[in-house]
Amino acid sequence: MPEVLAVDQYTPRLVRVTITWVLTALVLFPVLAILGLLMRTLQAGYMAAVPPEWFYAVMTLHGLGMVGLWFVAGMAGISVLLARYVRPTIAVSWIAFGATLAGVLLLVAATLVGRLGVGWYFLYPLPFHSGGTWPGWATAFLFAALAIMGVGWTLWAGDLLWAIARRYRLTDALGWQYLRGGGTPEVPPIVIIATVSFIGVLAGLVAAVVVLALVAAEQMTTGFTNDALLIKNLTFYFGHMLVNITMYFGVAMVYEVMPAYTGRPWKSNALVAASWNLVLLLVMFAYLHHLYMDFAQPQWLQVTGQLASYLISVPAAIVTIFSTLMLVHGSDMKWKLPSLMLYLGVMGWAIGGVAAVIDSTVMVNSRFHNTLWVPAHFHTYYVMGVVLMILGTVFHLAGELSKISESAASTRAIVSTVAVGGYGFLLMFYLAGVAGVPRRYASYPAEAAQGIVYAKLSLLFIALLLVGALVYIWETGRRCVRSLA
Amino acid sequence: MVSTPFGVFVTSALIIIAVFAAVAFSTRRPGSLDYGKANRLRLLALGVLGAILVTFFVLTLPHLPYAAAAEVQTPDHIVHAVGKQYAWSLTERSGPTIETWDKDFSPTVTVPAGAPVEFRVTTLDVNHGFSLYAPDGHLMAQTQAMPGYVNRLRVTFDQPGTYTVLCLEFCGMSHHRMRGVVEVR
Repeated sequence: MPEVLAVDQYTPRLVRVTITWVLTALVLFPVLAILGLLMRTLQAGYMAAVPPEWFYAVMTLHGLGMVGLWFVAGMAGISVLLARYVRPTIAVSWIAFGATLAGVLLLVAATLVGRLGVGWYFLYPLPFHSGGTWPGWATAFLFAALAIMGVGWTLWAGDLLWAIARRYRLTDALGWQYLRGGGTPEVPPIVIIATVSFIGVLAGLVAAVVVLALVAAEQMTTGFTNDALLIKNLTFYFGHMLVNITMYFGVAMVYEVMPAYTGRPWKSNALVAASWNLVLLLVMFAYLHHLYMDFAQPQWLQVTGQLASYLISVPAAIVTIFSTLMLVHGSDMKWKLPSLMLYLGVMGWAIGGVAAVIDSTVMVNSRFHNTLWVPAHFHTYYVMGVVLMILGTVFHLAGELSKISESAASTRAIVSTVAVGGYGFLLMFYLAGVAGVPRRYASYPAEAAQGIVYAKLSLLFIALLLVGALVYIWETGRRCVRSLA
Repeated sequence: MVSTPFGVFVTSALIIIAVFAAVAFSTRRPGSLDYGKANRLRLLALGVLGAILVTFFVLTLPHLPYAAAAEVQTPDHIVHAVGKQYAWSLTERSGPTIETWDKDFSPTVTVPAGAPVEFRVTTLDVNHGFSLYAPDGHLMAQTQAMPGYVNRLRVTFDQPGTYTVLCLEFCGMSHHRMRGVVEVR
């Protein structure tokens, strides 16, 4: 087994910063979820007096907030698990925390005060064409928030990668020794996945920097206009990468935490190494499926997008998902809240993956692109996938630190409400997507009237989901507070 | 057409749920893991997944929506679809510019049934999504409208009727109200 670092004076400092991240996430999560509930309420035709610009401002905050929230929660979770093997710099985590808080405040001001409504990927040149809805300062706040968070997250990912590189050679951290037929130095799977993920984060953030630089250049010079197709490629490369890497953080947690419940070790080998190196390559190209409906994009890139999107499902299914099942099958499994959430999270990842692969088929995308099928599949990835993986891991860690034992009644309540509420909520999205109901509509026209029915039904499921989330937050929150004490 | 992917999705999701449930139930009788058997099963899973992906790839690739635009022969009917916050202008003559928008804007165009029509789609401001909804409400076809580019979408309307153009790329506060009409006679 890879050598685990001893508990020393570093540990309580790490615990403090991690719990600060977790408590912040536990506050932001229900607030952002309620914004989602508000959106579905408006789409259901209730509160008709609310003007559409409020819907789009809330949509922007909900989207940017959730994508950012689960990314930083994933980073914080990975940091604490990685600290068994390497020593990230705690001050850098605090800097990232400060940058994230500053970014959140700017985004809240831009959306809820300035009514900025650009969507979470703020597709160029929409931020500069408000049509009188939001003022120029709101756009400036958006880009300032992105720049500040971008710097903080780059430092954070860079420091984590550096911490890995201080203990392992980069090629070893990527598991190439296994590909060469060797087995030393032994590297835990979480280190391989984290290395792949941090390289991905940095590669994605480079694209974000280029977008910001190009947009700034257009604003500050005359006679220079950006190429909309280039900016779109860069934007989706960055956005898709960030979302995928968040997913990989969750998966890395499954590799690290699940063995504590199955009683079976999950070791690195040539298969694990090959699969994650393949993921690092393919994730660079999978984003192309976001541009299928841009017919000006060269056709070979569209075919590459479908090929990469299909291929990237293979390592996920055959290595990680299959190995999870293998690890659990016939084991002396301890079915506790963390293991249930991790297991259900892997299942949600598999189901969301099927929906994603279907939509990454160009022929199908002609019917599903920008319908509610799209939020259906990414909410499956998030709500029933990575969010469960992260929250399961957080509960595992909070339970270990606080020594508060688990209540079977709470576990049953959380798992049943989240499973029924979550999949019911998602099914409404899927059915509406199949019916061609557009995504991102403040209200539905006659052609998409079915959307109203699905939105109404989804409210019941979201309420159920929120009940489960609140029970979880209460249970985890008190464990975190006890741990701090 | 959309019922097929949905059927594939629901079937796959049910299989996944059944497999996860079966594996979870297997922990009631703990035992040792036969790695050799598990890895043979993994190879089988790889073969099945590979076969499914290759089949879908080969079957769907000939149906790329771009093939029509690459054909040498241009259809007799060309519609210039120009997006601008928050309306579609649809005309058979060349589309409006920012300067001529008020004068040349046309929310409706009439085309014949049974003949190919080429929509030349662009935008004067932000990204929009040009989508055609049939009279029964199903989404027929779509392409993006991007500043500085013209995307060509070819459609043959089999049935006469009133087809609606909606915007499928978020474009601002009245995105949901942005529409146009294609009358097919």
